[in-house]
Amino acid sequence: MKIAFTSTGNSWDSKIDPRFGRAEFIFIYDDETKNNDIVDNSGVSEHAHGAGPMTAQIVTEKKVDIIITGNGPGGNAARVIESSGIKVFTGAGDMTVKEAYDAYKKGNLTQS
Amino acid sequence: MKEIVVISGKGGTGKTSVTASFAYLSSANTVLADCDVDASDMHLLLKPELISSEDFFSSDLAVIDYDKCAGCGRCFEVCRFKAVSFELDKFKISDNNCEGCGYCANVCPSSAITLVKQNDGNLYISDTRLGKKLFHAELGPGAENSGKLVAKVKNNAKKYARENNLNIVLVDGSPGVGCPVISSLSGANFVVLVTEPTTSGIHDLSRVIQLVKKFHIKMGCVINKTDINYKASDGIKKMLVAENIPLLAELPYSDNFTHAMIKEVTVAEYDKGIRSMLQDAWDKINNLI
Repeated sequence: MKIAFTSTGNSWDSKIDPRFGRAEFIFIYDDETKNNDIVDNSGVSEHAHGAGPMTAQIVTEKKVDIIITGNGPGGNAARVIESSGIKVFTGAGDMTVKEAYDAYKKGNLTQS
Repeated sequence: MKEIVVISGKGGTGKTSVTASFAYLSSANTVLADCDVDASDMHLLLKPELISSEDFFSSDLAVIDYDKCAGCGRCFEVCRFKAVSFELDKFKISDNNCEGCGYCANVCPSSAITLVKQNDGNLYISDTRLGKKLFHAELGPGAENSGKLVAKVKNNAKKYARENNLNIVLVDGSPGVGCPVISSLSGANFVVLVTEPTTSGIHDLSRVIQLVKKFHIKMGCVINKTDINYKASDGIKKMLVAENIPLLAELPYSDNFTHAMIKEVTVAEYDKGIRSMLQDAWDKINNLI
C-alpha cells in the first residue's frame, strides 16, 4: 500500500504541510517495499490557479492508496481524488511525517 | 504558530474593519497579512512604512517573434479573447486582451509565439504604527488576485513569524469562495466569518461555511450591522446553531466605522463600545484555537 503525505521537507522528520494543492513535497511511502518516493511539488505553487487539481493528478499518477494531510483538499481536488478511489485522512497539520504515520496506524486521523 | 483568517463571502460586510481591529487588539506576538489583494485597504488604517518590496511575476503574455512568424494567421483563428488582430502587414497581440492561455503558442506552426511572464505587481513588507509587521501586496492595472499571490503573501508572513517566534498570523482574506479564498484558507487554524443580515450576506455566508467545512477548520462568526434587520440576524443565528459555529460578536450598525476610516484608525480605537465587543470576540477566538 502506498501512502502519500503532504510535507514541507523530504525526510520522516519533516513537518506535514497542512496544505494540499500547494504542498511543498509529496512524501510517498510504500509499506510493502519499505521504499520512499519523494516528489518535489514546489512547481505547482508557480501556477496562479488550479493548484489542487494539479497535485491531485500527481498523486493519482503515482497510484497512491492513501493521502495524509492537514486540512484536506478543496472541492475540485477532492473530486479527482474521490474518482480515483484514494482515501484521504486529515488532521495531521501539526505533526511530522513520522508522527502522522504513527497516528494513522493507531487510527487517530479523521477520514474525510 | 496559529493562523487566523478573516473572510466574509460577501464583500462590504466590514471584514477589513474587523480584521484591523483584531490587529489592534492582538498581542505583540502577531504578524499581519493582507491577502485581499484585489482591494487591499488594511494598510490605510495602519500607516505602514515600507521595509522591502519585491516584484511579483505571474500572468503570461503571448509574444510573437517576427523573425519566425510566417503570417499564417492560426493565432488569429484560435484566440477566444480577440487579442490577435491584423494590422497593416502583420498579426499583433494586444497586451490588454491577451489572457496568457497559450493556445496560439501551442498551434503556431512556426513556433514563433512564446509566453512571457508579466510583472503583475509588488509584494511588500511594512512596519505599522501598531508595532506589528504587515505583509501585503499591490497589483498593477488589470492584474488579478490569485491563489499563487495569496500563498506568497501568507508564506512570507508565516516565515517571518517562525523566524521571530511570533505565534499568531492574522490574515485578511478576500471576498467570494474562489481560488484566492481557498488559498487563504489553506493551512489555517481558525476562520472568522464576518457577515451582515442581508439576503446576499446570508447567501454568501452559507457558501463560505460549506467551503470552510471542506477544509475541516474551526470557525466563528461576527454579525455586523445586526440591527438593520433583526429577522435576518435571527436567521443567521439559527444557521450558526445548526452548523455548530460559535457566535463571536453581534455588532450594531454604526457610522463610527466610517468615521474611524476617515481618521485612519481602526473602529476598535475609535468606538469604546465596539472595542469591548471585539475584544470579547478576540478573547473567544484565542480560547478556541
